[in-house]
Amino acid sequence: MDVYAALQAVINGLLTGALYALIGMGLALIFGVMRIVNFAHGAFMMLGMYVTYVLFTRTGISPYALFIVTGTILFAFGYVVYFALMRPIHGQSDFMQILLTLGVGLICTDAVQLIFGADYHQINIPLQDTNFRIGPNISVNAPWVVSFGIACVLALALYLFVMRTMTGRAARAIAQNRYAAPLMGINVFRVQAISFAVGSAAAGIAGALLLPVFYLYPGVGDQFTLKAFVMVVLGGMESIVGAALAGLVLGVVENLTSLYWGNEWALAVDFAIFVLVLSLKPSGIFGRQTV
Amino acid sequence: MVKRPAFYLALLLCGMFTVPACAGSRQDAGEVLRIGVITSLTGSAAAFGQAHKNGYTIALDELNAAGGVMGKKIDLVYYDDQSRPDQAVQGVNKLVDQDGVPIILGAYSSENTRAIVPAVTQKSIPLVMPTATADNVLETGSPWVFRICAGSSAYAAATLDFLKAMDAPKSMAIVYENTNFGQSNADAMDKAARAAGFDVVDSEAYQASSPDYKALLQRVKARNPAIIYFASYLLDASTLMRQASQTNLNPQYYTSAGTGFAAAEFPTRDKGAGPYAEYTFSVSQWLPTARWKGSKEFDDAFFKLTGTHPAYHAMQAYAALLTATAAIRQANSAEPAAIRDALKAINLPETPFGPIKFDEHGQNPHQVLITQVLEGQYKVVYPPEAAETKPVVPTPPWDTRRAK
Repeated sequence: MDVYAALQAVINGLLTGALYALIGMGLALIFGVMRIVNFAHGAFMMLGMYVTYVLFTRTGISPYALFIVTGTILFAFGYVVYFALMRPIHGQSDFMQILLTLGVGLICTDAVQLIFGADYHQINIPLQDTNFRIGPNISVNAPWVVSFGIACVLALALYLFVMRTMTGRAARAIAQNRYAAPLMGINVFRVQAISFAVGSAAAGIAGALLLPVFYLYPGVGDQFTLKAFVMVVLGGMESIVGAALAGLVLGVVENLTSLYWGNEWALAVDFAIFVLVLSLKPSGIFGRQTV
Repeated sequence: MVKRPAFYLALLLCGMFTVPACAGSRQDAGEVLRIGVITSLTGSAAAFGQAHKNGYTIALDELNAAGGVMGKKIDLVYYDDQSRPDQAVQGVNKLVDQDGVPIILGAYSSENTRAIVPAVTQKSIPLVMPTATADNVLETGSPWVFRICAGSSAYAAATLDFLKAMDAPKSMAIVYENTNFGQSNADAMDKAARAAGFDVVDSEAYQASSPDYKALLQRVKARNPAIIYFASYLLDASTLMRQASQTNLNPQYYTSAGTGFAAAEFPTRDKGAGPYAEYTFSVSQWLPTARWKGSKEFDDAFFKLTGTHPAYHAMQAYAALLTATAAIRQANSAEPAAIRDALKAINLPETPFGPIKFDEHGQNPHQVLITQVLEGQYKVVYPPEAAETKPVVPTPPWDTRRAK
């Protein structure tokens, strides 16, 4: 295997990894502020794909513009889910909250199956037939590049939201100490609702960006919930920067494993890293900083 | 205390899981004869499960219009295995214990079919397999199982015969999905290819449902095989061919063990690989243009039902129900053992799928064809007596195709 093949695998890994990063950051934000793993995260991504799919087939507008609409819809959806379902059991055991998110995920998946059927769909846009060649040995498919660019911009925006805005600061305060934060005058419910909504929107947008290069069916999100969970653990649980880096690392590792050991090892290596990190360095590879 | 919303949600969830289990009742002695069907109506193999259902529906309508069997109307009881083997096994229990069916048709995939063989054997219920190509579905030697379709060894043999006839170069890579269907077809091809003097330069297993096979295709490219043999389902087949173009992988022959590469959706732009499917070869069990009597009529009925033309999976389901009904008629009984004995002895020289007659292992020796996608259509290119057109080889490199 020559150096170009490895380079190509790294490039492909980064392209996939940026989308993973977006999904992982959303989950990390929700975890940081609410201390629960949102097991409906993959389902929210799937909803994002279906929303974009429906809008695309109705209007013909490119998913690369529609992701804004998808993000807004998923934001509203996350906000409503928080106030209707998450808030009433605020303060209950973590176990119950986790089960609740699992239930929400199942309902989303089954509802989509009820409406759209279990059949899979894909979309076709002209961009899919375009490949960029870098030298004679490296080539990248255009939709992946565009998705990568948008994902990077959004990841940066998410970072700035958390670091620079009042709401972001409040979210970090809650992550730091959720008992002290309300004493400082922070409206915990409001901040949690916004964080949950932003996290859901990130998952939904990732779905929208994945749509042109993948296919969709109601169960498509499941594997991404798991991957997002791995990223959040690698990234040090509540750090969104950590989760973003972990997403990129995961993408590259998967591709290199696939290249050198074979595709069927890719997931095994993902989870091997996951187990190793949990047992050797539970604070995560990129641990330390919070939210 | 449990707060309300979560409590109701829990109730709702419990409801979702328990409702399906209460449906259905035992076979009544009345006017209908129930036949069990297990297939994948949801999940990743849903496209094939739907093809099954369409095939069964057409057969059912024809049979009932002709008066059913033993003076009773036939009723099909479907069980959706959700493309999961554990669910398929559940299906056997449900269909036999609750619905009291005397015979089962299914499942769709090799994985799920292999999983239900012990279950039907234990319950002494005959099973007619329409589409499972992995040869290990017959390995237990169970006297209760019968397979309509040709298996993975027949696929490998037909592909190699074709390649030899074309005088193709002898280096091959095998790329397969890592469940029963893919593994069985890869093993069969590996053995047969080596025996035929081919050099198997690479063998790659992969997980279906992955969004990205580019690294895998790069591995294949590095070995530079003249021939690639795929054993893939539909979603992976489409992704593989799209990404083969992105990696600029240019073997002389893209060959395959049917299934994804032979699905009606595969050459379409909306649901498959579209232009990227062009020039790929596939083993095929049946085509609407097959020389068997009734093929054309089946095609018409299918078109009327769905607005599209069928691939062989629908025909195999159709043939499975035809065979099961013929056995029940011959046994003149709805007892599983009597139907099993009738299946062993059955001889249908003329069905739209070709002759159906099971050997001592329960295998119907069905002849397979080699097709190539040309301008979005499956065309038979081998064997010569069935060929509609000459194959286009070597496969044009991706660069020259883009110019079009």
